[in-house]
Amino acid sequence: MPVLDVLTSGQLLFAALVTGSVYALVALGLNLVYGTMRMLNVAHGDLVMLGAYAAYWAFSIAGISPLVAAPVVACLGALLGYALYKGLFRHLLAVAPADAGRMESNSLLLFFGLSIILQNAAAMLFTPNNRAYQYLDEVWRVGNVAMTGNRIAALLVAGATCIGVALFLGRSTAGLAMRSVIERREAAYIVGVDVDRVQWSSFALGFGSAALAGVLMSMLEQFSPFSGFPFTIAGFIVIILGGLGNVMAGLVAALLLGVIETYGVALTSANLRSVLLYGCFVGALLLFPNGLLARRSTRS
Amino acid sequence: MALGMVAMAVLPFVANDYLVGTGLTLLMWLALTQSWCVLSKMTGYVSLGHVVFYGLGAYLMVVSWQQLPFMLVVFGAGVIAAAFAALVGLPVLRVRGPYFVILTFGLAELVKFIIMAAESASGTASRILFGTPDLVVIYFCMFALALLATSLLTWVSRSRFGHGLRSLRENEEAAETLGVPVVRFKLIAFVLSAAIPGMVGAVMALRSTYFVVGGVFDPMISITVIAMAILGGGDSAKGPVLGVVFLFVLQELLWANAPLLYMIILGAILITFVLLLPNGLVGLADTRARWRAQRAAAGAKP
Repeated sequence: MPVLDVLTSGQLLFAALVTGSVYALVALGLNLVYGTMRMLNVAHGDLVMLGAYAAYWAFSIAGISPLVAAPVVACLGALLGYALYKGLFRHLLAVAPADAGRMESNSLLLFFGLSIILQNAAAMLFTPNNRAYQYLDEVWRVGNVAMTGNRIAALLVAGATCIGVALFLGRSTAGLAMRSVIERREAAYIVGVDVDRVQWSSFALGFGSAALAGVLMSMLEQFSPFSGFPFTIAGFIVIILGGLGNVMAGLVAALLLGVIETYGVALTSANLRSVLLYGCFVGALLLFPNGLLARRSTRS
Repeated sequence: MALGMVAMAVLPFVANDYLVGTGLTLLMWLALTQSWCVLSKMTGYVSLGHVVFYGLGAYLMVVSWQQLPFMLVVFGAGVIAAAFAALVGLPVLRVRGPYFVILTFGLAELVKFIIMAAESASGTASRILFGTPDLVVIYFCMFALALLATSLLTWVSRSRFGHGLRSLRENEEAAETLGVPVVRFKLIAFVLSAAIPGMVGAVMALRSTYFVVGGVFDPMISITVIAMAILGGGDSAKGPVLGVVFLFVLQELLWANAPLLYMIILGAILITFVLLLPNGLVGLADTRARWRAQRAAAGAKP
């Protein structure tokens, strides 16, 4: 396709928006967990995968529409996050070594172990085959852009959730408490914020939004127990580009990534999708060890 | 450990092909894990991308097959892997903590996908090597590499260089103010840790003769190395030996029949050791020895 045609294509713009909004939802959860607890959840993409399977089974076995199942799955994800926090991660924080960097590396390995367990347990229970289902795939046309119903739904749900969380963080007291923990944890303790509650609620919110993203993703593409991982990588790219802990910039960065991926693949070839993704990832980390849109913070 | 070395040295003369192959794999993991520890255990910069050097070595062997004598390629693989590390080392080592971990992972995946794209652009899906050397020859190559890796780690662990690495692991800024050439030391450790996996990859390409990009750049190799090192614990050459043997036995028992179960157990081991036993089996042994010494001292008092 000639370059100018590609750049002005409404079709690609729509695709980029859909991809970007799902990435934004994934990155949201990752950012909250990182911001409040300084832990990089490498298993995040696998939670997305679990959400996808939950929606799949709900639809295939009980005929429940994924849009109806979505809030339920999200709550289940939130519950899982809460349980994991109380069961596992409080223990880790209690035995943390003096060096924060070491603890972060350790927690990363912990999440990695979790990720391996989730992926392979899912493969054992659900078989490693690809799964997919048809839902809401009538095509709507606006101008010369063809959009399937499920993509529009995904865009709307992801967008609404992100805006909702942004409003929560910006306007509510609980959201303010969360932002304060993200910005300066020790100071939040001093002013009386219940840091423990903020932490488990950010865990719950993070896991819940990952599960929701999984439900949306299950409508759009086929998936297997191992398809969570690219979402983890995409999530990381977004939060690094936007600055770790900076939720609003993360939303912008997610749309940017959606654009880069969609237009990049259209301009080059589908084979290069992974090269582009990881290239952005490595590039982002090397060039901006503190994030593209990062606010200056004295805590590294 | 000396006993183990002797046992491994005579293995090809007393055992059948299957056991020699198994011993070969054990030595491979030992070489990979020891070399990983030179960087990651000594400096605290945990690399999740160790497989990139392995894959580069294997790729070099496969593309230059039957154009150059294979021993030359093995050495060349080590040189190329070290050169790659030297090239990317400076920007990569600027990144700290968990970002370094995921950066190394991303770097390994990036190299993998670039080579995949290159191979598919040239129309090759996989490569096969014909006329590779005998198993015993390959075995002794790997034995030499495992020996080299262990000696390297032992030397680094006892040298002033190693001392400097440990100091920057504990506190990089403080080490720098004390005059430790932090950037240079990190880079040297990185380059040193890269050479051996490159050579190991080249040798293993000879062993398996069937080359597929995804297989030689498999992130599970990196993860297994980390698991073995964490399992073993400590920052000397003792730990990896324990970790490698333990995990290797587990692998051999489960791999053929229940590979998914093996992965789940691997994940569980990672979690358990990070949470409860951050110093691995070596740390466990040390703690028990100290405990016993304390009890002996208490008992000796009247």
